[in-house]
Amino acid sequence: MADDLPEELAFHLDELKQERLALGDTEAQADRFARITLGNRTSVHEAVHEIGPFYFLEIAARYVQIALRTLFRHRGAYLAAIGILALGIGMSVAMFSLVDAVLIRPLPFPGQELIRVIWKADPLAGPHVEELAYPELRDLQENITELEYAAVMPTSLYGYGQVLQMDGAKPVEIEAAPVSHDFFRVLGVSPAQGRNFASSDERVNAPPVVIVSDRVWRQQLGGNAKVVGRLIRLSGKGYTVIGVMAPGVEFPRGAGLWLPLGVESRIVERRGATFLQAIVRLKAAQSKAPQSGDRIARRVNELFKRLAADYPAFYSKSQHGVVTPLVEYWTGSARIHLWIMLGASLLLLIASTITCGILLLSRTLSRRHEINTRVALGASRGQILWQLAAEGTVIATIAAAGGLWIAEAAIRSLIRWAPPDIPRLPDATLNLHTFWFAAAAAAIAAVGCSVVPGWFAIRMHPESALREGGSRSSRSRRGAKTRNVFILAQAAVTVMLLAIAALLVLSYRSMMAANTGFANREALTMNLQLRSPEAIPVGGTDVEASRSFYTNLLGRLRQAPGVTSAAGVLIRPLEGTIGWDVPYEFEFETARSSNRALPKANYEVVTPHYFKTVGTPLLEGRDFDDHDLETGNAVAIIDQTLADHSPLGYRVHLGLGGWKKVIGVCSDARYRSITAKGIDIFVPYLQAAQPTNYLVIRGTRGAGELTALVRRSVAEIDSRQAIAGVATIGELIDGNAARHRFNMILLLWFGICAAILAASGVYSVVAETMVERRTEIAIKIALGCKRPGLIREIVSGTLGLVLTGEVLGLGGAAGAGSFFSDLLYGVSPHDPVILAFMGVCLFAVSFMAAFCPAWIAAGRYSSASLRVS
Amino acid sequence: MEDSRQVDILQGTLNMMILRVLQQGEANGYEIAKAIGQRSEDLLQVEHGSLYPALRRLEAKGLVKQQWRVSATGRRARYYALTSAGKKQAVLEHSRWRTLVEAITRVMKPV
Repeated sequence: MADDLPEELAFHLDELKQERLALGDTEAQADRFARITLGNRTSVHEAVHEIGPFYFLEIAARYVQIALRTLFRHRGAYLAAIGILALGIGMSVAMFSLVDAVLIRPLPFPGQELIRVIWKADPLAGPHVEELAYPELRDLQENITELEYAAVMPTSLYGYGQVLQMDGAKPVEIEAAPVSHDFFRVLGVSPAQGRNFASSDERVNAPPVVIVSDRVWRQQLGGNAKVVGRLIRLSGKGYTVIGVMAPGVEFPRGAGLWLPLGVESRIVERRGATFLQAIVRLKAAQSKAPQSGDRIARRVNELFKRLAADYPAFYSKSQHGVVTPLVEYWTGSARIHLWIMLGASLLLLIASTITCGILLLSRTLSRRHEINTRVALGASRGQILWQLAAEGTVIATIAAAGGLWIAEAAIRSLIRWAPPDIPRLPDATLNLHTFWFAAAAAAIAAVGCSVVPGWFAIRMHPESALREGGSRSSRSRRGAKTRNVFILAQAAVTVMLLAIAALLVLSYRSMMAANTGFANREALTMNLQLRSPEAIPVGGTDVEASRSFYTNLLGRLRQAPGVTSAAGVLIRPLEGTIGWDVPYEFEFETARSSNRALPKANYEVVTPHYFKTVGTPLLEGRDFDDHDLETGNAVAIIDQTLADHSPLGYRVHLGLGGWKKVIGVCSDARYRSITAKGIDIFVPYLQAAQPTNYLVIRGTRGAGELTALVRRSVAEIDSRQAIAGVATIGELIDGNAARHRFNMILLLWFGICAAILAASGVYSVVAETMVERRTEIAIKIALGCKRPGLIREIVSGTLGLVLTGEVLGLGGAAGAGSFFSDLLYGVSPHDPVILAFMGVCLFAVSFMAAFCPAWIAAGRYSSASLRVS
Repeated sequence: MEDSRQVDILQGTLNMMILRVLQQGEANGYEIAKAIGQRSEDLLQVEHGSLYPALRRLEAKGLVKQQWRVSATGRRARYYALTSAGKKQAVLEHSRWRTLVEAITRVMKPV
């Protein structure tokens, strides 16, 4: 519509002119009158232009254009600022995308907030999970009306693996989960093909059926569309496939097959068969009721208390229920670790925003002259701020683009380094969530590093600033104040990061130095669990077959050249957190044990030579030998901690297998986690009802040769058996520390980045101060001031701020200690020596960063520079 | 940037006056300026150029529509007329103005 304006104005002008000409004016007079009456045509054009809908965009584009020009002119300084900001944004975006993948993205279960996992804990018996038995499923269903569906599943998938034998293919082992029939209804998912489990599938002696995961269906069953109804062989037994689960559902984690649980009377009826946990779905109305979580937990607890009273033979009175939302159960301790790491990366983002702010502030201050000239020429402060905001936005946008690029690379390497036990972590990618996070981070950074310093620069009185900016004779007090706050805040943030990183490094060191009790790190371990029922001779049992298999195999291996020793064990050390917990009591204690809250110990079944092979020294007594037969005296070996209050020769009663005489004491070893000491009790394999499932072997030959030897020997005995999960004890120990190492490397990286940022911040502040005060310095030198004194005067202010910031940061780190104590081992989060040491380190770095520019400047500004200025 | 408050106040009354003039029938910019001058018996001296941003704003609000036509003097000119919303607005502003003037007159009358 603005296009019509010239013609319209020309018409108006003409009419006015005609009007005067008619009154008898001369041409020149009429023209003059018309022009005056109409007014300034340019401003009319401008005013009309501003009404246009795209005017705002045009102004923004103009600001951006000026910003780009400024940036390009001073690209050195701005490039540093952009790089620093990109680093901060990149690292926090990478961490955020991990958090997003693991914690924020919803699980593939509709209404996941209604799902709870239930087990029990017994503080008197120890920190173990107390498991449920099948009959407790009915107890839950009948007594707790708030539940829509309830199901049970094993607490661990360990030992439920099935060997799938397809025609013409190698047998593969697949994790399987025996579950009660409402399991998928609890999760709110149903099979993509075929049908869900029905109660009729879960009867004793019901025809065996299986639901397979989408992955197994695609990879092992060839994605066959007509798979439903087919018979497949699992560990030698035929199962009818009744369904293929929807993609993405692999719960419990890793499960590829689901089988009905309650198909054996020994499981369904016995209250003593505790190996399960419950998973329930609350009725939808419950989620809206206030404190529904608390109420469910209370109801579950009341139920368990009542059951303990009704069945004193099975449950101790000290047991209580633990009700966990599914999401927390799913992510476990990774949850808190990831949040801590995201927090640390945000600290790094703050530190980089501050450094960027310091750099830009000194640019803004050196542009005071330009800014104030613009103010003097009539630019409003709003316009100046908009201009600075535009510069900040341009910087932050470039930094965010660079940050996303850094994040992309960081995510890829984080996934590679990450310990495998964090669920869904490999799914981390840059997506819309992370994009918004990056945008928000960039927006905050833009405001933080451009508008805030600009605000202070502008609030100076323009006239005096004009004078000051012109001669740079004295420092701008307000600008300096802003800078001081920045330096202080940065020192605080950095020292906090460094302190946490140092604590993690030290705790990793003490973790690695901890005596795990396994001296032979090179000893090879592997899973060798006998699976196919054909291996069991007629009339025999599972255990007997396993015993004779192991006796045979170990005999062969020990005779093989290059083998020092070989043994079998129920569950190898540090195999996740799984293991057998058995209650125990010594004979001199039986009098006091009127209730059933017995302490529990890690239970291991071992063959002779086991201790020698893994390198756990026997301190007293003897090792098991071939004479500890099923028919002989029942014996046991206990660890040192237990031996301290119950010496050799006493008898110990185990929840599995009755009274045993203690014949040996071995030194303490860490079976579940290298950071936690448990109590271990060992029994010989010929006297135990549990089979040895792992082989340990040590020799003078390499791991590859030993593995090949074992494989050959196994094949000679039974060609259908396979070994899996080959790892040395050293690898198992490292694997156990992997999460910690990951956390440590991340924080160390954050801490070092922050320290570099802090140093560059201090450097630029001191360098800038030196430029500003060069006249003053030159005068002082001319008057005979010595270099060291001068430098002391210059750096003391900045370093004082660093020190104050450090005190605040260390206070913060000590205060936040309890939040990350979960990450630490063998160090106190409040350890004053470590905190002080990190403070000293940062101070030393800051000192160097402040000293260098000051030293150089103090030498350069001679009386010559005085004359120049 | 000029002092914006003053402009707004001026614009308010200018808009109202433009609407009032257009109540009489369609007119081009020159005629509107003339009409305002004549009706105020030349007491109000409007800078003619300022009419055009105001007209564009009224147009953007949908109160006024425009059309190129040949004027009485035989030239092509842009003619403005009230839309139905503009007619309503003209009446509304007129009554508002009357109320305001009455109120201010009462306040200002000699005690």
